[in-house]
Amino acid sequence: MQKETDIKTKVKNYIIESTFDDVEKIKDDTLIFEEGILDSMGLLFLIEFLQEEFNLTTNDEELVVENFQSINSILSFIESKM
Amino acid sequence: MKATRKPFSKDILHIENIETVCNEIIAKLKNDVGRKLQRRGAVIGISGGIDSSVCMALSAKAFGPKKVTAIMLPEQDSSDDSRLLAEKLAAKFDVTDTLIEDITKALEGFGCYKRRDDAIGRVITNFDPTVDKAKIEIKQDAASNLPPVFSVTVIKPNGDIVSKLLPVKEYLQIVASTNFKQRSRMSMLYYHAERLHYAVIGTPNKHEVEQGFFVKHGDGGADVMPIGHLYKTQVYQLASYLGVPQDIIDRTPTTDTYTAEQTQEDFFYQMPFEQMDLIWYGWENDYPAVEVANVMNKTTQDIENIYKNFERKRKTTEYLRMRPIF
Repeated sequence: MQKETDIKTKVKNYIIESTFDDVEKIKDDTLIFEEGILDSMGLLFLIEFLQEEFNLTTNDEELVVENFQSINSILSFIESKM
Repeated sequence: MKATRKPFSKDILHIENIETVCNEIIAKLKNDVGRKLQRRGAVIGISGGIDSSVCMALSAKAFGPKKVTAIMLPEQDSSDDSRLLAEKLAAKFDVTDTLIEDITKALEGFGCYKRRDDAIGRVITNFDPTVDKAKIEIKQDAASNLPPVFSVTVIKPNGDIVSKLLPVKEYLQIVASTNFKQRSRMSMLYYHAERLHYAVIGTPNKHEVEQGFFVKHGDGGADVMPIGHLYKTQVYQLASYLGVPQDIIDRTPTTDTYTAEQTQEDFFYQMPFEQMDLIWYGWENDYPAVEVANVMNKTTQDIENIYKNFERKRKTTEYLRMRPIF
């Protein structure tokens, strides 16, 4: 099983690479949708990333803000599925 | 002195002076087409939907029915009702230059259906496009605080329904394939417009323009958009005033794009247009969420989330409204 810090780094790097954003702009608790860092297409690409990187399938009922609103939330979501 | 504005109410979008508003649109159409664009008439694609019907009625009044060419552009997935209603509309406004251009073969040439069905088949493996019906839809509530994402739904001949969240590659391929429909229609409209030295009348309403519910260089490709500033509720008000046939007014707005029945609400807007119009107006005019919530029987939090949803849609679709950058 991957370490929590590794997972967090991978998610953070993915978001930074896909948005071309500055690393210091995205903190672990930054609200990535509320602050416009990712939009609906960004969410779809993020779901694809989770599938490819962690072999994690997202179901319709898991598409709630609590699972995706920040890097911390995504981390909790990944851990809950592992 | 600070101007006082109307308190938010369910009637706030009602047009009081409908005759004046129609006459202003008609005068503007004449000026835009005749003076600015230097064209001698109008070509319009009619689908049997409310927006194209109102635009055709306005065009017939602006240019006279003899200077309007109304074109039906069905393809294999179009409903037969659409054609019948479009014919009824043209007859009602004495537009006799009506054409039917079936674009199915053109779409087959582009591989529209095959590319779309291949993508659906990768998600729902037992999808059989020869007998199954399919559509894509947003299942989340508009008040959800997460951006909307699409699911694909397949309806089997026995009524069984299979629905799955669309992975990004398949979602993009389905949308890109079906967009051939709107772009082929646009090409055909411009063929006739150029042949006749007419202008192409675009039919999107305010929501379609501002929320990006149109295809760039497809139904978004036109010379003038006479109802681009009107809310859907107001388009209905114009339809009644102008005498659009009642069965067109009573019809639920559909996309007429996928093989399964699909309302615009399922596909994109996530709420009935009567609600959406009012909340959009509230958002656009900075009415506090609490004031709108009281009138709409919703919680303040719901309205705040819907405001965010609108903001996101406008921002996400900015690309569609942008001109080429140079």
